[in-house]
Amino acid sequence: MTELNKNTDFLYPFIEGAPEDPQALLVDLAASARGKAEVSARLQKDSLEEYEDQIQAAGAKMADRFSRGGRLYTFGNGGSSTDAATLATLFCRPALGRPVPAWSLAADQAVVTALGNDVGFELIFSRQVIAHSKPVDIVVALSTSGNSDDLMVALTEAKHRGLLTIGFAGHSGGSMSTSDDVDYCFTVHSQSIHRIQESHARLGFRLWSVVQEQTRRRAAATMAAAEQGGTR
Amino acid sequence: MTTNHTTAQGPPELIGLDLSDDLASASLALARKFHRGATLWAVSPQWEPHAHHVAVEFVHPVIMGKRALPSVALVDPDPVAQTRIATRPGDVVIAIASAGDPKVRDLMRRAPAWGAMTIWIGFGPRPGPGSADHVLWVESDDPMVPATGRFVLMYHLLWELTHVCFEHLGVVTVEPEECTEEVCVTCSDEGRLAEAVQAPEPGSMSALVRTAAGEEVVDVTLVGEVRADDLLLVHAGAAITRLDDEQEQ
Repeated sequence: MTELNKNTDFLYPFIEGAPEDPQALLVDLAASARGKAEVSARLQKDSLEEYEDQIQAAGAKMADRFSRGGRLYTFGNGGSSTDAATLATLFCRPALGRPVPAWSLAADQAVVTALGNDVGFELIFSRQVIAHSKPVDIVVALSTSGNSDDLMVALTEAKHRGLLTIGFAGHSGGSMSTSDDVDYCFTVHSQSIHRIQESHARLGFRLWSVVQEQTRRRAAATMAAAEQGGTR
Repeated sequence: MTTNHTTAQGPPELIGLDLSDDLASASLALARKFHRGATLWAVSPQWEPHAHHVAVEFVHPVIMGKRALPSVALVDPDPVAQTRIATRPGDVVIAIASAGDPKVRDLMRRAPAWGAMTIWIGFGPRPGPGSADHVLWVESDDPMVPATGRFVLMYHLLWELTHVCFEHLGVVTVEPEECTEEVCVTCSDEGRLAEAVQAPEPGSMSALVRTAAGEEVVDVTLVGEVRADDLLLVHAGAAITRLDDEQEQ
């Protein structure tokens, strides 16, 4: 935004609050939107390339767990909690493809406020992991800092219980990127919370695509084996 | 990449020229509304988390020092009924929904009668001309678009540009003359959009309606029986036309 001011200051030789030219501002705003979108697109592309192998590996493990009855729990704070909910919806109610069981642990306000009030905010997700999970399940946590206490406690609890643990982080990755309790950590290297969240969404979508493809292949193999075996 | 036109050279273009212009106009209009006390009501019947993300974006800015702005996600099963009660003249309604969503179509049609400006984010076939004050559209038919971050980018940019506008108070404090065919009293004989609040009492032809200017009593002799929530065009103290449910304006 400072850069935008720098570029446009010459257009506004007025004191603050004095009339300015709306048209000039609109031109700058549009250019700024395109610039930020370009930054976002490049970051998404770089992140996808950086983590493709790990996403393939994590996706294969997720597909295996789903095939054995596993469930996915997603969580985050603030905007990331809504992105976690979007990701859970993508898995359990995809517009195309095969649905698998997935929930956002921030979705139930009764549970979240009860835990936050009674046992502490840092336990709002871990207590739900304790209540719901089986070793075959999966957790996905999203945090732009990689440092949120409530997420880290839940990831540790999940790992302790044998779940597959996946983290989406930003900046330099925070605790999430160094913790042994996180099986896969996808750190988006940016200082902008907005741009990090946009790449989280794109990486999450890629992860879902891999799980779909793996699931489809597994089903195809099972069907082929059944055909080979003939009638029982 | 599934959702975008990819080239071997670089990342896909997420915001083109036209869309960037639309975002700029929407942001300035939104900043002007906020400056005059608006609340931003967010609705997304199919993708509820997006409505919540919009609300938290404005209420709790991720950048320190940016002002908190009033925004609320409306997620009742009937978004029209909920938004009708929530909005006051001067507010803004933002929907994240496909153009075919019947609840959102109805909401966008009625919002002008409540005095609310409308912003519509979506993908696939565009809503018809005039369906909303600001249409921010992803030109893709890929059904997976809502889960790829394209909408997140769109409302992030809306937030970022709105706050840039606040650095240019000289522009934000000026409310442009609003003059559309449907709502302008002084330059149109088309009439203003109104929504019936209460039907006439037996033997009376006076109904209480709501328009962008507030509540008023109009004569309904020309349109016949009127029930609550009916959409009407009013002119000079009288309802002159009834708008059918799916009549495009």
